[in-house]
Amino acid sequence: MPSLDELIEAFVELDEGRVLSLVEKLIVEIPPPDILEACRKATVTIGERFEKGEYFLSELVYAGEIFRRIMDIVLPKLREEVKPIATIVLGTVEGDIHDIGKNIFKAFAEAAGFKVVDLGVDTSPDRFVEAVRRYNPEIVGMSGLLTIAIESMRRVVEALKQAGLRDRVKIIIGGGRVDKYAKRYTGADDWADNAMLGVRKCKRLIGLEG
Amino acid sequence: MLGSRSPEELVKERMERIEKAIDLKEPNRVPLLIFTCGDILRKYATGYELYFNYDKTREASLRFVSEFPVDSLGVVTAAEGFVFSLAFADYPDIAPSIRFWSGPMHDALLDRYTRWPGRELPEDSILQFIGGQFMDVGEYAKLSDNPVAFVNEVILPRSCVNLEKPGSVKANASLIKLGVEASRFLKFLGDLAVDLARAGVPSLPLTFAYTPLDFIGDFLRYPTGALLDVRRYPDRVKQACEALVDPIIKIGLSLKPAGAKYAFIPLHLNEYLSPKLYREFYWPTLRKVIETLYDQGIKSLVFFEGWHDVHLETILDLPKGWGIAYFEKTDVRKAKKILGGHTCIMGGIPPSMLLQETPDKIKEYVRDLLGEAKPGGGFILAPGVADIPKEVPLENLKALIEAVEEYGRY
Ligand code: B12
Repeated sequence: MPSLDELIEAFVELDEGRVLSLVEKLIVEIPPPDILEACRKATVTIGERFEKGEYFLSELVYAGEIFRRIMDIVLPKLREEVKPIATIVLGTVEGDIHDIGKNIFKAFAEAAGFKVVDLGVDTSPDRFVEAVRRYNPEIVGMSGLLTIAIESMRRVVEALKQAGLRDRVKIIIGGGRVDKYAKRYTGADDWADNAMLGVRKCKRLIGLEG
Repeated sequence: MLGSRSPEELVKERMERIEKAIDLKEPNRVPLLIFTCGDILRKYATGYELYFNYDKTREASLRFVSEFPVDSLGVVTAAEGFVFSLAFADYPDIAPSIRFWSGPMHDALLDRYTRWPGRELPEDSILQFIGGQFMDVGEYAKLSDNPVAFVNEVILPRSCVNLEKPGSVKANASLIKLGVEASRFLKFLGDLAVDLARAGVPSLPLTFAYTPLDFIGDFLRYPTGALLDVRRYPDRVKQACEALVDPIIKIGLSLKPAGAKYAFIPLHLNEYLSPKLYREFYWPTLRKVIETLYDQGIKSLVFFEGWHDVHLETILDLPKGWGIAYFEKTDVRKAKKILGGHTCIMGGIPPSMLLQETPDKIKEYVRDLLGEAKPGGGFILAPGVADIPKEVPLENLKALIEAVEEYGRY
């Protein structure tokens, strides 16, 4: 029987083939939540390597893909849902169809224990409002890669205010064209242009250790 | 704003200013260039009008330069269409005319790469290039064997609704319509250049090239698909990249007889790759494209999208004076330190600053930036391609132009 440490190591090294064969073997005897916990640890290390400049976006894309394939094996075996640490309603904002970064953030947030409700791309303010009503998330995450997306983000914050929901959620924005100016302009609570930092900030926004 | 000089004199002066900077010299002032895919022009026309009504686009561009006299304005109210150029790489008279994919061209072929205002999108939105996965991993060999034939025979029928059945009446009629549109579009570009020149603003004589791996990502396998292929099937990807070099160079040279001097090359997957992968899968073929064009008298205008910081040194592999390195998020000051005297640097204006700062802050920013980037020449000031949103306050753009006048003089 291989160990979870081997899985963590293979995942961190992005050895896709080995990861999948290890998971297939481990899933027979090890409770699925323990496998997920191992994945969480691996993604933390992958994130550290990214922040140290040892890994790049292509490694994150690959890690996200490997994580997705692990989940395909593990999720059907999960008897009861693991209780998420919080829920994030996430979407790329109106007018913008870039979603590679959003999907990376989603994978890392899920690996960290968040439940992520993904609204997809070109998401109108109304759809964000609707999703907040329906899923009652702690956090709303918006992604945008176009400069004009910043305007769309502002309109989502505005729509949440109008609907009386603004104070019920923390709002974080991300994506390649957001910065401190964008945070100020949109009225979001925080921003991140890197998925790891984004996950840490999400934790901090809900009062957890980042 | 023309002052006492005639438009001809202004065109000459501005063009000289730009060319001197490209030649790594000090012009009389730092040039300011703007490339737009239309968003800023939505101050004067709707998205729909800009993409489907060429007269409106000309009008809007003229209004823009009359309010904001920049040294050159590049107007590309169209989507990425390099895949269509590649399909006709062997026909230099056709290939460049469909490099940029316009709304009416989309109407002709109903391609799945793009979505348009007034068609799939609301009238006052901007166009969307969405791309897609139109090639299977099993097909790399066919791609490598003959990229041009593969794109024609396999990719276009999959990616364009109207070409689904090659040889059908519908497909043939659509290609004729495309031809008509292509010549209308070329005429529009020519007319626009004439209009702008009458207003004293020169247009850069551009031709076009592409990075092979980006071609695979943007038009065949989707960006993430290409990145995963690099991991899973490295040899297939490498071989395909090499096979794409030749047709890309042909397209780059197609406008040389018409006087083109600069090949515009936007980079997409550069930011994603580690230095190791960049040097293995991206740079060798891009370098070959740039160097071959340079040997033939065409300099490249490479738009390094996103962060290019970790790859900056590779630019020194190129011959001195090879062209223009146009940066988006990479700090141009840092780039100038590494590349100064070897490469002309372009960029420096973050769009979010134009959107949200005050005119005074913008002037301060330009003053500080030019303080570092101007000395020694070889520097062009510009926001990124497609960067300026229509919400940018007019005073801020004015401040930018005034600041260049004030702090950009040599
Ligand atoms: C890949 C790409 C595409 C792909 C998109 C594929 C996809 N499904 O995403 C394709 C080819 C389809 C595409 C299309 C277009 N693109 Co594009 N594209 C890019 C490119 C090269 C890379 C973007 C990217 O994926 N970056 C990598 C990801 C991983 O980074 P990221 O999103 O920042 O994500 C990280 C963090 O920000 C964070 N994060 C992301 N989301 C979130 C959310 C939250 C809540 C948090 C906390 C964190 C977080 O986590 C990620 C990992 O660390 C950029 C240039 C560049 N290098 O930025 C241009 C760019 C974004 N595109 C641009 C443009 C203009 C377009 C088009 C309009 C082109 C056209 N004329 O047709 C169309 C878009 C249509 C539309 N309406 O949206 C411009 C935008 C200019 C501007 N300033 O507005 C850019 C900047 C290129 C340029 N000209 O400079 N594009």
